[in-house]
Amino acid sequence: MNFKRWGIARCTVQLLMIALLASPLAGLAIFRGNLAAAELLGLPLADPLAFLQALLGGRVFVLSYLLSAMLVVGFYVLLGGRTFCGWVCPVGLITELADRLRKRLGTGTQTLPLTLNRWSLALVLLVVMVTGVPLFELFSPIGIISRAIVFAALVPLLLVAAILLVELLVARRVWCRSLCPLGGFYSLLAAASPLRIGFISERCTHCNDCLKACPVEEVLYPSLELNHPQVAAGDCIRCMACLDTCPTKALKISIGYQPLSRDATDPLKGGR
Amino acid sequence: MELTRRDFLKASAAAAAFAAAGAQALAPRLASAADDKGIKWGKAPCRYCGVGCCVLVGVKDGKIVATKGDPAGPVNKGLNCIKGYFLSKALYGKDRLTHPLIRKGNKMVKASWDEALNLIASKYKEAIARSGPDSVAIYGSGQWTVFEGYTAVKLFKGGIGTNNVEPNARLCMASAVVGFMNTFGSDEPMGCYDDLDLGDTYILWGANMAEAHPVLFSRLIDNKLKNKKVKIIDIATRRTRTTQMADEYIPMVPQGDLAALNAIAHVILRDKLYDESFVKQHVSFKRGTENQPYGLKDKENPKEEPKPLTFDEYKQLMKQFTPEWAEKLSGIPAKKIEHLAQLYTDKSRKVNSLWTMGVNQHVRGVWVNNLIYNLHLLTGKICKPGENPLSLTGQPSACGTAREVGTFAHRLPADMVVMNEAHRKKTAEIWGIDPRKISPKVGLHTMEMFRAIDRGELKCLWIQCTNPFQSIPNLSRYRKAAQARKAFIVVSDIYPTRSTEVADVILPSASWVEKEGVFGNTERRTQHWFKMIEPPGEAKEDTWQLIELAKRLGHGNLFPYSQKNFHKEMWEEYRKFTIGTGKDLAPYETYYKVRGLRWPVKSNGQETRWRYTDADDAYVKKGEGVKFYKAPGNKATIWFRPYEPPAESPNSEYPFWYCTGRLLEHWHTATMTGRVPELKRAMPGATLEMHPEDAARLGIKNRDKVKVSSRRGSVVLIAEINGRGKPEKGNVFTTFFDETKLINDLCIDAFDPLSKEPDFKKCAVKVEKA
Amino acid sequence: MDSDTTNTGISRRLFLKGSILTPLTLALGGAAISAVYLRPTQARGFYLRPPGAIEEPRFLAACVKCGKCAQACPYQSIVMAGGEAGVGIGTPHIIPRETPCYLCPDLPCVKACPSGALDKQLTEVEKVRMGTAVIIDREGCLSIRGLRCEVCYRQCPLIDKAITIENRHNTRTGEHTIMEPVIHKDKCVGCGICEKVCVREKPVIAVQQRVTEQKDFYEF
Repeated sequence: MNFKRWGIARCTVQLLMIALLASPLAGLAIFRGNLAAAELLGLPLADPLAFLQALLGGRVFVLSYLLSAMLVVGFYVLLGGRTFCGWVCPVGLITELADRLRKRLGTGTQTLPLTLNRWSLALVLLVVMVTGVPLFELFSPIGIISRAIVFAALVPLLLVAAILLVELLVARRVWCRSLCPLGGFYSLLAAASPLRIGFISERCTHCNDCLKACPVEEVLYPSLELNHPQVAAGDCIRCMACLDTCPTKALKISIGYQPLSRDATDPLKGGR
Repeated sequence: MELTRRDFLKASAAAAAFAAAGAQALAPRLASAADDKGIKWGKAPCRYCGVGCCVLVGVKDGKIVATKGDPAGPVNKGLNCIKGYFLSKALYGKDRLTHPLIRKGNKMVKASWDEALNLIASKYKEAIARSGPDSVAIYGSGQWTVFEGYTAVKLFKGGIGTNNVEPNARLCMASAVVGFMNTFGSDEPMGCYDDLDLGDTYILWGANMAEAHPVLFSRLIDNKLKNKKVKIIDIATRRTRTTQMADEYIPMVPQGDLAALNAIAHVILRDKLYDESFVKQHVSFKRGTENQPYGLKDKENPKEEPKPLTFDEYKQLMKQFTPEWAEKLSGIPAKKIEHLAQLYTDKSRKVNSLWTMGVNQHVRGVWVNNLIYNLHLLTGKICKPGENPLSLTGQPSACGTAREVGTFAHRLPADMVVMNEAHRKKTAEIWGIDPRKISPKVGLHTMEMFRAIDRGELKCLWIQCTNPFQSIPNLSRYRKAAQARKAFIVVSDIYPTRSTEVADVILPSASWVEKEGVFGNTERRTQHWFKMIEPPGEAKEDTWQLIELAKRLGHGNLFPYSQKNFHKEMWEEYRKFTIGTGKDLAPYETYYKVRGLRWPVKSNGQETRWRYTDADDAYVKKGEGVKFYKAPGNKATIWFRPYEPPAESPNSEYPFWYCTGRLLEHWHTATMTGRVPELKRAMPGATLEMHPEDAARLGIKNRDKVKVSSRRGSVVLIAEINGRGKPEKGNVFTTFFDETKLINDLCIDAFDPLSKEPDFKKCAVKVEKA
Repeated sequence: MDSDTTNTGISRRLFLKGSILTPLTLALGGAAISAVYLRPTQARGFYLRPPGAIEEPRFLAACVKCGKCAQACPYQSIVMAGGEAGVGIGTPHIIPRETPCYLCPDLPCVKACPSGALDKQLTEVEKVRMGTAVIIDREGCLSIRGLRCEVCYRQCPLIDKAITIENRHNTRTGEHTIMEPVIHKDKCVGCGICEKVCVREKPVIAVQQRVTEQKDFYEF
């Protein structure tokens, strides 16, 4: 069945997120703020990286902010870490759309290593601790897009346009894959997440459709190659595109922590 | 007592010194000379309040391009308040009326002057033919020029034959007028602004001078800065900016003025602090009619039947009004009343009383006026430089037009009345008409005019230069009647207002310097201005509009003035009324150059600063001292006036006193100042002032929306707590300038039985969070 | 040669392509960043922060630019700064001449701030210290010229505390009073209502950065 139910669900959630951001403009009081700090029906939510920047750079501590950040951390630990990137982040939506265009143009095939985003996270935290300048909050395209929606602050969108241009013409999805420190943060959480993609190797026909569908094929490829029962990579955004695409239902949602394999030489041996 | 030579010389010296020293530096610019920017400057009185500041208007290429205070103006010497500073902008709002408009169903359709005037004439003719001349009326204004008022009076009283001519000054100065007439036999103050420079004690009765008479207040405070002896006492129901600069604030329960004034007089009599010889020579005593109605029923017609009293009888009657008695009714401690009596009788003090709307817009406003005069008459502190009761006027020409020209239902020019045959005869002579044309029947006063519309008895009403459908009390009754098209209503104005929106015909008027005009301010200063620019579009002077109606009604012959010298000829005719009456006006051309002259103007062209005294008034011979030559027997009257309660007091359901008033930034209903963006930004909307404890008890915080309701209506306002005005506990206050908030809907249309002036300061309301 | 699209290899064609496009894109991105971030600071000299804002250097980090304070403000006085604010991009500030702070007694902006950039210890409106009003053009002030204005004074929410009137004799006319509005730094909260209502075209009273209280002696 080619009905991309997960794709539709995910797109719906992404659009819902944008609608929530814009809802105060329609006079609704269900949502306040943006992805750095928000209130959904009275429940405070916070971006844990923003919390860290405020704490380390501004030397302010408000308990409710910590708790709301921990709430979000707990939520994403359960749901997979970079699920944020795949389901919630507006930058994810926009770069995804740009990527489709890029595929048609056939350009921008370079990539940068995934692990870079851990380094950009470290850089951000270092800079804010030493200088007090919240580096990520300044340049964050997440914040820029949110503020463009809620406050019509359009000039900073130039930066987002620049990022999209690079992604179109030079290196695909370079922001989300390699540069976004928040992505780096969530990818570290993902290791603890019980929500994973399960792989039933017996059903796999090696058609590689799933690899084509996966936006971050470094996530899927090694696990399939080595017949791991679960995809445990931190950078998996749980987009479920692979699930949707697989003609033989070899991929499924798998909850729980399964050992990866008995192969002692396997560098992806679980628990590393 | 007599004006001491020293006082008079001091006053004259001051005036002369200014004239000499100041005149050099502050030489008045001649109207004809253009300055280096190509701007032609001309003089005019300010369009706004009764202070009557002198301004200079700069015109270039047919437009006003600048205004400034006139340094040669003795009232203000080049200063203004911010309303006056932005004067000219008021004429250039975007929605200025430029064409006549006639109602067709729910729409107002553009029409020509002929169409509009023919329609008005036909409606008036029809009503007069069917129901008589008293079925038509005109409602004008204390902002009318003398010419506009005079034309209205002549047309309606001399032509149509009805006395249904009323000004909006009925709502502001009528109580003062009746107070003047029944005390002194002549309208308007005996003192002038010089009293603010020369006195040392100023007792303000419910007057927020800081905001209502800004430049005058500045002058008063300067006296205080120069002279340590000066004391300003603010007796009020609300703390204001006036209170902030006064020496003493005496809070008073509404209507308490009747009690307090009587108690002060009581003390004066008790301790024999009155000037016995003055009283003997210059005062007679009367008792009026008490227990009069409050005007709450239509068509009430109370009569005053005065009874003469002897001084001893008066003293006997006054025995009951002890300070302790007054304390209960006024909230003013008995000690304070004794203290006020001390001040009034202090022989070393030059005491002045000042009042405006707090006293006049009062169901017993005439009584309060009388009671204030009583104090000055008992002590003889009157008709002396620096020592006078000064009734402050609200509008720029309530004096000059409404009162002096007599645009009231019972009046003729120069203090004459329609009920008096001799007066009608004199009027008819000057007008060249048969005296029988002038009706002896007093016409409908303002509130009765609007009630008559509601009852279907008044068929045609022409409103000029005022906005009653925002400003009269108990507004909804009258708005509903107008909207039900119970009468044919014509409104002449310069902008769309809450009154034009209920009109059948809207006529565009020329404003201020778009026509030649004369105003008269609080201190009897008559000021002239030339036309300086053309009115926009097809707008026309109200005088022209009235004469066009006159022509169509067959009364064009009443206005035989030439085109070229129209205003001058009208003036010279009007002036005849004033000669020999003690209200003498000067020949027209005299007013071209001077910054106004205070009447009576003497035969040598000099103005009169103090009336009724041989020191300055030419009508009083040397050696006569003080002479109230307009009063019967040359004696002013002290009236016995007791305390009577207000029309509506707070109770458990409506626990607050509701008081209304104005503020510095806007003029009245803000049809003009609301179109000056700077003033609109300074003060965009009306607020409800509350006492912080009252607000806290109701859970209301500053800037919360509150709903205030009376038995008649309600309005939602923003609460203002600890702002520029702090009402006493149990009181709330708001202003009437905001056309989106018809606050006067809550007011009760009760009025003084003698003056017919409604009480905008007292009714009962409840307040809740909105 | 094979065009290998693995992570590590780049074909010559792609490299050539990249060597034109990459600099171009970097240049564009750089231009965007400079145009947006490297602009001269605001004419006022400082940003008027919402009530309770901590000192500016810490504020810039503590503020997570979520916009909740702006959404909580019932008058829409709080606006978010754009790129011209440099490091302050996306931070909230108030432009008094457009919409000043009306000092809501319950301080909803402070309550809404999640991170403490608006200090939660602020509970009383009179203790707000956003800035100080200053008369910046005495020659232009109508009150100082002797006219009856004083709108800033009458509209001040802390009338007779933050702004008082000092009277003096008008020596030009000899008969009137100059009623000069005087601001008291220790009471002024910096809400900017005075700046908003000033009737001059360019307000002669404006909110400026707070100055530490004047002491009446010299401390050294």
